[in-house]
Amino acid sequence: MGAMRQIVSFGGGGFSMEAGNPLLDEFVLDLTGKERPRICFLPQASGDADHYLVRFYRAFDAERCIPSHVSLFRRLRAPRDPRSHLLDQDVIYVGGGSITSLIGVWRAHGIDRILRKAWERGIVMCGLSAGSLCWFEEGVSTFHGAPERVEGLGLLPWSNTVHYSSEPERREAYHQWLLDGMRPGYAADDGAAVHFVGADVAQVVASRGDARAYRVEAVGGRVVTTQLATRYLGDPKVRPIVPPAAVARTA
Amino acid sequence: MPSPRPPRRDRSASQRDRLVFALGGHDFSRRRGNEALSDYILALADTDEPRICLLPTASGDPREQIFAFRRSLADRTCHSSHISLFRLETEPVTAREHLLSQDIVYVGGGSMLNLLAVWRAHGIDEVLREAWERGVVLCGQSAGALCWFERGITRSAGRARAVAGLGLLPGVLCVHYHRDHARRHALLDASANGDAPGFGVDDGAGLLFRGRELADVVSGEGVGGAWRVERGPRGVEETPLGVRALDDPRPAIDAPTAEIAELRRIRALRP
Repeated sequence: MGAMRQIVSFGGGGFSMEAGNPLLDEFVLDLTGKERPRICFLPQASGDADHYLVRFYRAFDAERCIPSHVSLFRRLRAPRDPRSHLLDQDVIYVGGGSITSLIGVWRAHGIDRILRKAWERGIVMCGLSAGSLCWFEEGVSTFHGAPERVEGLGLLPWSNTVHYSSEPERREAYHQWLLDGMRPGYAADDGAAVHFVGADVAQVVASRGDARAYRVEAVGGRVVTTQLATRYLGDPKVRPIVPPAAVARTA
Repeated sequence: MPSPRPPRRDRSASQRDRLVFALGGHDFSRRRGNEALSDYILALADTDEPRICLLPTASGDPREQIFAFRRSLADRTCHSSHISLFRLETEPVTAREHLLSQDIVYVGGGSMLNLLAVWRAHGIDEVLREAWERGVVLCGQSAGALCWFERGITRSAGRARAVAGLGLLPGVLCVHYHRDHARRHALLDASANGDAPGFGVDDGAGLLFRGRELADVVSGEGVGGAWRVERGPRGVEETPLGVRALDDPRPAIDAPTAEIAELRRIRALRP
């Protein structure tokens, strides 16, 4: 039997966006079931920005986990063999930035193939923003201004978009593309994360009480948005929010 | 901010107006040699107030490089700008329009592999070819120099090896020639096995091409050299190119590096 294939796709949040709120990052570490999991950060979407690496190492304390990173811009300072380093992790965490630049750099170094292998071996894959879009077949990015239709690695057979409730322009573009034939997918707010096992949603968790994630698809010429049951990670006593019947909205 | 101006280059430039200036190693610190190189680069434009845009893609658009670039040009008559493909910009520009409206595009160093991959992902490779054909001066250092050639010797995947560039210029380029022996040996190997001519360029020196022909070889401080590397009857041969020292007001002289080295040796002997 193969390993459990897991992806946690953040609409936004974690150490990159929610300084002082470790709920989503802790959730990902807990999924490994390890006392002190190995977690490797891939900051290519930001061009391996130094300040981003510093924030990663501040957030992922060496007492709690074994943090590392792979830089593809400064190879001489990075692990000599990124393949064996990546395949040796419990979690691979992809930072935000430009999805287009991210996928371009990964392909140039063969990292795309290594990440697929890592996922197949049961390493928990996660990330926010570009680090969420990258796992899907396709998605909507607004990083470079107007909404753009972008391609990901295609580990998940869905479309995706992030920062959903905070960007009406992105939502409109997503709905239009769904009507034009983009495959159905998942959209998440800042602070919400969708946990996939295989291609299916296992649960939705949130680091903020009001953050949600949605299944979004075109049905009979309309866009149907279904709010997913979300578990707030801050207080285990809070019961999951029961999703209302499919909330239909047109684009 | 650069002054708004409509794209001024709407027709194809003749071969001799297609300029590429490839530096073996350069930074934006305010050293004497760098000042001379900045003057040289700005003078390549056919206008008194050139628009020059930095592409810092090869090192992931770091702020330090952008600030140093802007600072190095602050007291010169020019309009400097940059395009970041990794950061959110407060005023997003359309990369194509912006690049085609420049007089000079300067490409910073870093990873050649990443540079080309990110450009291709954003379609910037095609835009730069178009810019070159329209007479926008293309220049850069290290990865930003390698990218214009058919192939460049890069360490961006660890070991030094030849990687395909945009191919605007023929042959193989090797930068940091005498600073990094692994690169030099990779060029010698590539030249021994291949038929394309190679160029080895030290830090501080640069090759100017008009069309696909080498037109000028200069160095900022007169210390960097440049070599043509080709397979000859007795194996691979490194032929030194005559380097014009930019700080020197005299006309071009051949091989000044030996003289300057001698001068330095004499100076070093002084108490």
